[in-house]
This record gives sequence, C-alpha cells and structure tokens, in this order.
Amino acid sequence: MLFKKHYDSLSSEDLFRKFHIDLPLLVAFIILFSISLIAIYSASNSDINAVIDQSIRIAISLAAMILVAQMSPLNYERIAPWLYSLCFILLGLVLILGETRNGATRWLNIGISFQPSELMKIGMPLMVARYIVRESLPPSNTSIALAVMIVILPTYLIYLEPDLGTSVLVAFSGLIVIFLSGIKKRYLVIAFSLFITSLPLIWPMINEFQRKRVLTFLNPEKDPLGAGYHIIQSKIAIGSGGLFGKGWLNGSQGQLDFLPERTTDFIFSILAEEFGLVGIAIIICIYLFIVGRGILIAINSQDLFSRLIAASISLTFFIYVFVNISMTIGLLPVVGVPLPLISRGGTSMVTLMILLGMLMSVGTHKRLVPK
Amino acid sequence: MSFKSVITQKEDQNIFLNRILFSSLLILLLATIIFTRLVFLQIYDSDQYKLRSLNNTIRTQSIPPSRGLIFDRNNNVLAENRPVFQLEMIPEQVRYIEKTLNQLAELELINIKKIDTLKEKIDNSYQFKSITLNTKLSEKQIAIFANNRNIFKGIDIKTRLIRYYPKGEVFSHALGYVGSISSNDYLRFDSAIYTGKEQIGKTSIERDYETSLHGYPGKEKLLVNVRGRVMDRLDKEPFQAGNNLILTLDTKLQEIAYDAMQGKKGAVVGIDPSNGEVLIFISTPAYDPNKISQGMSNSEYATFQNNKNKPLFNRAIAGQYPPGSTIKPMLALGGLEMGYINPDNYIPCEGRYFLPNYSRPFNDWDTHGSVNTKRAIQASCDVYFYELAVEMGIENMSSFLSKFNFGKKTLIDIGSEKKGIIPNRAWKKNNFKSKQNQTWFKGETVIAGIGQGYMLATPMQLAMATTMIANRGSAFQPHLVRAIENIKTGELNYTPIEEINNLEHIKEKHWDIIHEGMIAVVNERRGTAYGIFQPNVPIAGKTGSSQVFSIDKSSNKEVPEELRDHGLFIGFAPLNTPKIALTVIIENGGGGRLAAAPVAEKIMRAILDSEKKSAL
Repeated sequence: MLFKKHYDSLSSEDLFRKFHIDLPLLVAFIILFSISLIAIYSASNSDINAVIDQSIRIAISLAAMILVAQMSPLNYERIAPWLYSLCFILLGLVLILGETRNGATRWLNIGISFQPSELMKIGMPLMVARYIVRESLPPSNTSIALAVMIVILPTYLIYLEPDLGTSVLVAFSGLIVIFLSGIKKRYLVIAFSLFITSLPLIWPMINEFQRKRVLTFLNPEKDPLGAGYHIIQSKIAIGSGGLFGKGWLNGSQGQLDFLPERTTDFIFSILAEEFGLVGIAIIICIYLFIVGRGILIAINSQDLFSRLIAASISLTFFIYVFVNISMTIGLLPVVGVPLPLISRGGTSMVTLMILLGMLMSVGTHKRLVPK
Repeated sequence: MSFKSVITQKEDQNIFLNRILFSSLLILLLATIIFTRLVFLQIYDSDQYKLRSLNNTIRTQSIPPSRGLIFDRNNNVLAENRPVFQLEMIPEQVRYIEKTLNQLAELELINIKKIDTLKEKIDNSYQFKSITLNTKLSEKQIAIFANNRNIFKGIDIKTRLIRYYPKGEVFSHALGYVGSISSNDYLRFDSAIYTGKEQIGKTSIERDYETSLHGYPGKEKLLVNVRGRVMDRLDKEPFQAGNNLILTLDTKLQEIAYDAMQGKKGAVVGIDPSNGEVLIFISTPAYDPNKISQGMSNSEYATFQNNKNKPLFNRAIAGQYPPGSTIKPMLALGGLEMGYINPDNYIPCEGRYFLPNYSRPFNDWDTHGSVNTKRAIQASCDVYFYELAVEMGIENMSSFLSKFNFGKKTLIDIGSEKKGIIPNRAWKKNNFKSKQNQTWFKGETVIAGIGQGYMLATPMQLAMATTMIANRGSAFQPHLVRAIENIKTGELNYTPIEEINNLEHIKEKHWDIIHEGMIAVVNERRGTAYGIFQPNVPIAGKTGSSQVFSIDKSSNKEVPEELRDHGLFIGFAPLNTPKIALTVIIENGGGGRLAAAPVAEKIMRAILDSEKKSAL
C-alpha cells in the first residue's frame, strides 16, 4: 500500500503540477519548438548554426517560463505597479537615449541592448488587471477612463519609436482586460464607432513609412520589386505549396532566396510552402489548442486577477498568431510581428514564454479564494 | 486586496464567462477566415502560384548557335570563333537602373558616354532578357567587377563567341566581316532563329552565306535564385551550329598577292580557268576584320569610312576601271573574226593617228614602226588599234566585247558587284541628259580601241575575260565557295560548275594569233612586260595603262599621285593547261609594266613553281 501510494504521488501529472508545469501546454510548446528548428534549418539555407542559436534561445525561454511559473499570481499582482512604472520610464528613456536601427528607435543599451516595449507586453496586462480588480465591478466611468489612460500612455510612447505593430499589440493586451472585466456593451459600441470615425483623422497623422505599408497592403502589385515585394513573394510561396507542400528543404521560394525575412516574420510562408495546407492546418490547430487551454485555465481560476491575466495572455497569444499569419497571406499589412514560438529571435520569445509561464502559474497554483 | 461578496463574485464570473465565450467565438471566426484564405491560396489558386513560383526561378534562355567556320581550299582556317567576356544586365532584377549604370561607369566597367544609349536600349527591351552593357571586358575590368559583384544584383559576366579571322587583312574583302545585329538586319533574316546576341554577317561571304553559317539557336532552362544566379540547368536543347564553308581561295597565293600589292590601292583576282574557282581575291588597302567584328566606336568607324584610300571599298568586284590596253587582244580577235584585219598585214605606226575633221592627232605612247596583229599586241601599239576601231565601228566593238561578259555582272557568289560599261550609241543616248552629249563621236570610237573613254570593267570581269582567252572561249561561273559542309551529316555540298561560252565559233588560228601576241608580251624583246618575268616562261599576258586624266606623257613624273595612270596586267599560265587567269590592277600606279606586271610575276612564279614540284 505504501509503495502504491508512493507510486501514485510520483505520477507524472502530479510531478509536473508540483513544479507548476502544465503538461499539455508544455507538450504543445515543445512540438512548436521542434517545428521552429526544422523551419529555421530550411529557411537559413541549411545553416546548422542558426538552429543551434535558436536551440539556445529556446532553452533560455523555457527556463524563464519555468522560473516565472513558480511564482504565485499574487506576486504578479504585487509587482505589477512597479513593473509597469519601470517599463514606462524605460520607454521614455528610449525616446531620449535609445539606439536607432533602420530608422526606428526601439532599443535601449544598458550593457545589453533590449526593447523596453517587449517588457511592456508583460507589464501592461498585469497593471490593468491589478487596477481593475481593486475597483468595483462592473467598473465605473472614472475607473474605465483611468484604465484606458493606463493603456494609452505607453502605447503612444511605443508608437512614437515608431513601432506600430508592438504598440497595437501592447494596447490590445490591456484593452482585452478592460473588455473581460465587464465593461458595459454600450461603451464598447461607442468606442468602436469612435475608432472607425476617427480613422480619417488619424490617417494624416501616421507617418509616411507606415502609411506606405498600409497602401502597399491594399495593392501590393503596384510596386512588385519594392514595397510590395515581401507580400507578393510570401503569397507565391504559400500558394505554390498547395495541399501537401513541396517537401522539407524543397521550397524554391525559400531555398532560392526569393522570400525575404524568412527565418523571422515570414517563417510561416516557408512552412506553408514546404508542408502545404495539411502541415499548416496542424500548426494552426496546435496554436488553437494552446489558446483553448489558456482560456480553460482562465475559466477555472477562482480569483479575478488570475482570470483576467490568464485570459488576456491567451487572447493576446492568439492575436500574435493571427496578425503574423494574416500578414503573410495578405490579410493585414506587414507590421513586423513574429510567429509565436517558431520565428527566430530572442527577446520576443523570452517575453512570450514569461507570459506563458504566468499562464501556467495561474493554472497550477492553489486557489487563493475559498469557494 | 479588497473583499467582495460571494454574490458579486458570481455575477462577475457570469459576465466574464460571457465575454470569454464571445472572445472564443471571435477566435474561431478569425481562425476560419485564415483557414479559408489558406484554402484559396493553396488549393483554388495554387496552380497560378505554382506557375509564378516557377517563373521566379526558371529562366528560358536561347543559346546563340556557333557560327560555321570558313576554310580555304586547303583546309586552312580563315574564320573561327573565339570567346570574349562581356557584361550583361537583366533589367527586371535591377531596381535602380540609372544608379547602377552610373556606378558601373564610375568603376569604368562601362563607357560613361554610353549611359544614355544603354538606358534607351533597356527601356525598349524585354525586362527579363539580358542586355549587353560592355561587349569586351579586359582582364582588369573582370577583376574589378568580381570585387564589386555583391552590389550589382542582376548584372553578370557572360562569355560570348566572337568571330576571329586568323589571317586578318589578307582575306578581309573576300570574307567580309560580322557585327552585332542592327534593326536593318532583322529585315533580311528570320528573326525567330536569331537570339539577338549573335553576330551577323555584314559584307561579302559572311553576309551572302549568312543562312548557311548561322545555324539554329538552342534553348536552355535555368534554375536561378533571387539574384539571377544560375543554380542549376534543368533542360538543355543544344544549338545546331552553322555549316562550314570551304572556299576556293588559296591562302598561299592570297598572301603572296597581298604582300606584292604593298598596300597600294588596287585589286588582284585570280581564277582557275578549268572550273571558275576564284583562287585569289584581293582588294587593297584592306581593313582588319577582327577590329570591326569586335565592335568599333562610331568615331573609329567614321575614320575608316572617311579614309581617302577607301579601305572598306571592295575594288575586286565594285571597282570600275578603264581596261586600257588589256582590251587589245580581245579587240584583235574581233577584228580577225569579222575580217577587218589580216594577221599578216603590216601597217606603219608613226606614233600618231589622224582622224579626218579632227584637228589634233591621237597619240601613241611610242613609235612602233611596222606592226602586224601579233606585234601590235606584243608592243601594245595604239595606232594599230585606233585604225581597227575606226574600221569596226563602236557597235561591232561593243557587241563583240559583250561576249567576254563586259557590261554585265559576273554573278559571283557575293554581292555589291558592279557591272562596268561597254559604251555604244544606245548607251550614250540613255546615259546623258543633254541632247548635245547624247551624240556619239567618232573620236570616242578611236579611244575605245585602246580601252579608254567610257569603257569600264571590274577586276573580276577582266579575270573572267582572261579565263575565256586562256580557254579559247569557255569560262565558268566564278565562285568563292567551293562547298558547304553540312555540320550534321558531314556531307559536302559542292557549288555546281557552270560553263559559259559565248565564243564557240572563233577560229582556232585566230586564238593562236592573239595567244602568240600575249606570249610575246612576256617573253619577247619589245614585249611590254618583257624582262619583268623570267626568260621563256609559259605565261601569256597583256599590260595596260589607263588614263585617269589626259596629260602629256613626258611629264608623267610630276603628276600628282591620284592623277597618275592606273596600271593593269592580265595573263594566264601555264600555256597548255592554264591553272590561273589573273588580273592585277594598281590604281594610279603609273603603268602596267612597272606597277602591275611585277605583282603578277610573283604570283605566276609561285604557281609555276608548285606546278613543277607536283610534276616531279
């Protein structure tokens, strides 16, 4: 009996739970990481060093995720204002002291060079959630106005860098919290109508470069060798992949360098070209599984803060996937959002894995509030 | 952390669940949109994208055929193909064409002056076809380009075969030259079998045998990457090389003749009397066909064209000269045949001839004393032929000389031939405007007797006439191409030998008389070419000096060069079975004996020497 009990307590599920790891999510991540390595090897013209680099990033990200998962959601709530304020100051510093690369000032160099906007992806949902759970629900007009301010100020700083893609995603991760907290439907309708009607006013304020991106998105064939090149070549890669794809390392668009940025923003096109609709459908299903699992964690968690951040992380994760895939298939303008967990790149993956670590933390920590 | 009642928590949870449900539905909707879009891209429009992806990576390139080679009669190569390196651009792969051209000019890879022409050329071409920017890169330029290759996307070095003529100037007028295709050339040939990159024949054999020499282009499917670099060859349909030509020309004789001309203006044509094969075809001054074929600048070409010695002018078939005294044997034959002269009658020559009603006498170049037909030819007595001409009349003269093919083209197998002039009353009437000038004067008949006045002949015509003399009547259609070698089967397609004979009924003894006269020209004292040749050679010949300008003979030395007489020589050898009928013309050479005969001597000696050797 003793032996049996001991055996039970060592069942894998419990073991992972003890270390605050959600096994189904971990399995999904590992599958996506494997796909990432396979895709990067192909996209980098069989450069094994690119694969090794990515493996190191994956290892660091996984470590960060596990570390973050050990903290209880209560701690996140505690550090939220500090993290948010730190991010806000850093964003301000970027505009003054930041490094400019390719015409955008996004990096801050403090020994290592990093993007504070990435950190804000974590700070934003935490701060909004913390603010909202302390107000009466559904939130009053004033608290909504304040919450919106919490979202808009850093978003604007990121927009100034300029980094349209990140600013939209950061804003989304905050706004989704306000939405989930139970803001009245009529506010949503008003906000939505305001957004639509203000578009013609915002348009001239957006800088030249970003306007061009949007115009190119609307008509890529106008400048096939210039601005429209990425999207055209990406569509050719995806379309020519067909149902079953051209096979690993056989995609001509990728192997012959027609597709630019194919290890990062356009890695989805490589996958679509080489593994076809079937391969892509499997990958999308894995993403949907992660999102679904995240939503389930949110529903099952008992305190509002946990629920809000779990849901916000899950939905933001989906939006990353949606925006990246949509830009490769020409549904959205090219905004420079990587494909979560698959695209090559360090910071964005670590940030994302920290967020997913928080999701695991919510899913595996004991409930704070009695039923 | 603020506390809330259980009830509100329950309500919160309901609102939250509602919102989550709404979000989940939204997620499913967005996922469906993506999936639908993917189905459209990867299934419905897949074929279109597959094609575009192929078009991205596959280039069909036509490969210019290699041009047929040209050999002389002894299989010496006269025209071959050699590789050169050139700079080419595929416009659709170059984003900033103007900037790129300027960068290339900065590195001196292209001529800065050509930028505008190149831009125009690029604008008017297919953007996926490569365009030549520089036809001949030096080794240094190749190195410079290699070092900067990464900044020049869409630009590459290609090898190309260009024509090379190992014998250079010697064969230039016979072979002609090639050049890049101009818009005019497309009218001449089927543009479907031209890739636009090959060279095309511009003159002479290269032009007139273009269809045989060109061949058919091949096709090549290439796998290229985004920079247009060829990654793989997928499919290759090889070109069919052009056919080879075997000429009738003899390199050794060509070189002897060319050297003997010493760069003087003139022409040498030698024909094998037994079949019409042209053994020697020289027009001087010549040009270097390699220089022209490799592409000359406009200014270089202009200096060529404006050169007063006209090196591009093909004197052998397009140069028209008064035949002068070389016409005498033929006129004598006509006189004998028509009974105007008795070969044994001697007439006195006192150095001048008087025509009734003409105040000034017609001068002879010398005083010959008593001459018969043979002696008149031997010593080139003018008075004898003045008298003959007056007796025959211009109509008889012109109709008889026409039988020697004067006044019409020889129809040799290369173009731009001129037909010369055999004047008579009708000709004069048709070719002069004013009534006064249309009348034929008797004095004009007199000077026609010594091949002066309006009479003009090309060196090729004179060589053909000499063939008729050598063969006692018959000649053969002169031609430069002996055979076309079918490159696929190796079969030789010989040019047919066509006999021409307008002089069938001439009595043998009359031929004998003019032959004797012509042998005496070379071999007997008082012969106009006596002493130029070795003693007792089996050569028959006739000198001629045609006046460019009517001047007093005694002051010849002080006459400017361009007004001096043309020197001519016609002849054949050996006597019994002639191997060559030769014409030498030297413009402003100062007379047949001194200018033309020595050239003929060198050629004849070479032929007779090799005859002797083969006899041994």
